[in-house]
Amino acid sequence: MSLIQLDKVCKTYRTGNLEVPAVVDFTATIEAGEFTVLAGPSGSGKTTLLNLIGCLDQPSSGQVVLDGRNVATTPTRKLADFRLRHIGFIFQSYNLIPVLTALENAEFTLMLRGVPQQQRHQRVRELFALLGLEGLENRRPNDLSGGQQQRVAIARAIAAEPAVVLADEPTANLDSRASRELLELMHRLNREQRTTFVFSSHDPQVVDMARRVISLHDGRLADDRRREP
Amino acid sequence: MLIAIAYRNLWRNRRRTLLTLSAMVVSSSLLILALGVFSGMLEDMLASATEQYHGHLVVSKSGYQDNHDLYATIRDEKLPVMLENRPEVVAASPRLRAYGLLSGRDISRPAELLGIDPEREEKVTTLMAHLVAGRPLPSAAGNGALIGSGLARRLGVGPGDQLVFVTGAADGSIGNDLLRVTGIFSTGDSGHDNGLVLVGLPWLQQLLVLPGQVHEIAMRVNDPMAAAGIADRLAAELPPGLDVFDWGDLLPEMREAVASFDVSRMIVVLILYAATGLGILNTFFMAVMERTREFGILMAIGMRPRTVRAMVLLETLQLGLLALLLGGAIGLLMTWLMQRFGIDLSGQITPVTYAGGTILPRLHAAFDPVNVWMPCGLLLVVCMVAGYLPARRAAKLQPVAAIREE
Ligand SMILES: Nc1ncnc2c1ncn2[C@@H]1O[C@H](COP(=O)(O)OP(=O)(O)OP(=O)(O)O)[C@@H](O)[C@H]1O
Ligand SMILES: [Mg+2]
Repeated sequence: MSLIQLDKVCKTYRTGNLEVPAVVDFTATIEAGEFTVLAGPSGSGKTTLLNLIGCLDQPSSGQVVLDGRNVATTPTRKLADFRLRHIGFIFQSYNLIPVLTALENAEFTLMLRGVPQQQRHQRVRELFALLGLEGLENRRPNDLSGGQQQRVAIARAIAAEPAVVLADEPTANLDSRASRELLELMHRLNREQRTTFVFSSHDPQVVDMARRVISLHDGRLADDRRREP
Repeated sequence: MLIAIAYRNLWRNRRRTLLTLSAMVVSSSLLILALGVFSGMLEDMLASATEQYHGHLVVSKSGYQDNHDLYATIRDEKLPVMLENRPEVVAASPRLRAYGLLSGRDISRPAELLGIDPEREEKVTTLMAHLVAGRPLPSAAGNGALIGSGLARRLGVGPGDQLVFVTGAADGSIGNDLLRVTGIFSTGDSGHDNGLVLVGLPWLQQLLVLPGQVHEIAMRVNDPMAAAGIADRLAAELPPGLDVFDWGDLLPEMREAVASFDVSRMIVVLILYAATGLGILNTFFMAVMERTREFGILMAIGMRPRTVRAMVLLETLQLGLLALLLGGAIGLLMTWLMQRFGIDLSGQITPVTYAGGTILPRLHAAFDPVNVWMPCGLLLVVCMVAGYLPARRAAKLQPVAAIREE
């Protein structure tokens, strides 16, 4: 069974009298261990789709099945716990809680899951070593570069070993070198730790690095290409 | 961890938090001081009303306080000592009372004579302390008398002069005898100054032919506000036929004044705190709105809405506790200073008599625990109520919408 199944998913926003179809009849499956990019111009529905996959939003019609669970039929209050247990999030920017240090930010999901402090710290230190963040444990997000902040966000997203990590334009605020580094890191995590990544981008340089590219246009699936590395 | 996050968030906008905190501290500490000064005024009033004449508690025959019946006497001479042995009772003074005609050189006036033991009376009331001429009654008073200043003026007598008192004695005869003025007192209460005379208890007992008997035993207790409770406990232990009255029974207007203070205290606190509460509400709404995106992210990564709510409430709770500690401490300190030193206003205003008590022309505070814990407790309540709405708002945010916001 696929990790993520999207079946004729539609999402329509209503602003006043206007209906904006953000995602239209979208059908796709994503397997565990894949490294997938949602590509498409601005307004094509990438964020909306990621929100649907991430149980942050519910489809207007169609089905989103994640790890065997139908998102539409799960009560909203259970979704927070479901997200905590199964999904890691990386947002475009200002991902981190400013009053917490890098280490505290990274261990946050583990803390919400009730993991004891010692184990949390051990796990985060491992990840910091992996992500090249050693020595930055006690810095506040404001004292980190954009790339470092995004790497802390990655640490937070993967710390609890979720089924899938969703990243909405994680490199949009980074220069091309930092973008490349971040992408290579995600690649490595995908290869070495078998972490499933789904992220969105409209940056061709980023899109080129992905193994699977799902292209969106006006909320519709325009293309779905796989490349063997 | 949540507590630490809340604490750090509280100090994120240091200036705003400090402003809100100082508003809370100022309002609560000033409130504590103001209530302390109110209590001080009330204490002065109560003291002048009770300690000048009645005492805090009075034991007498059941009907005596209504009709001052000459025959309603207490014969138990051990009773004052027994009462004094109770821990709440500071002192007890037996008294005998007579009404009659008092004559000076050539004028007569009606007067109330109170037969007392000067040493004991001194510990219960301040009558003897208001001497304006002559000397206090010696402990063996003989036929000495302390006379109110108004009465002395009307009779045209001064220290050393002789008086004649005529009254009906208990055996049906007419009692009359000579008194000698040893001193003149002036309390500021015209009723006493114009009609009261203090004489030795044995002298009056002899005149009235009531040997070893008294009409009442007046007492001073350690906490006047607790007088009613002490009275209830005492009443259960007294021999049948005797009753105990607290100052509230003897001075009903004074009791009203104290009760109205309790109500007005509550009203003042509530009005002031309504304003403070709006300030807190504003601060926390702003704090929550600014962090909309952050709450969105927290909820997206799996924080439960009720944890978000708890986090915001923890912030208000910490602010409230901090304000409470500071406000309480500063309020207590100011109250203590005001209690210790006070401000004399006798140059600006004259004493006011109200409800049988005199408000002295001074600002001074009295310590009453209620004046501290009530403002502090309510501050915390107001803080939590004002924090609840923003907290609920934060918890109700939709992660998607919250994260879209920049
Ligand atoms: N809450 C909303 N209310 C109304 N319309 C919305 C809302 N969210 C998204 N849309 C609309 O839905 C469409 C898809 O938006 P979406 O944010 O998913 O695009 P995107 O591919 O992520 O764009 P970008 O690259 O700019 O982030 C757009 O036309 C957008 O205006
Ligand atoms: Mg987007």
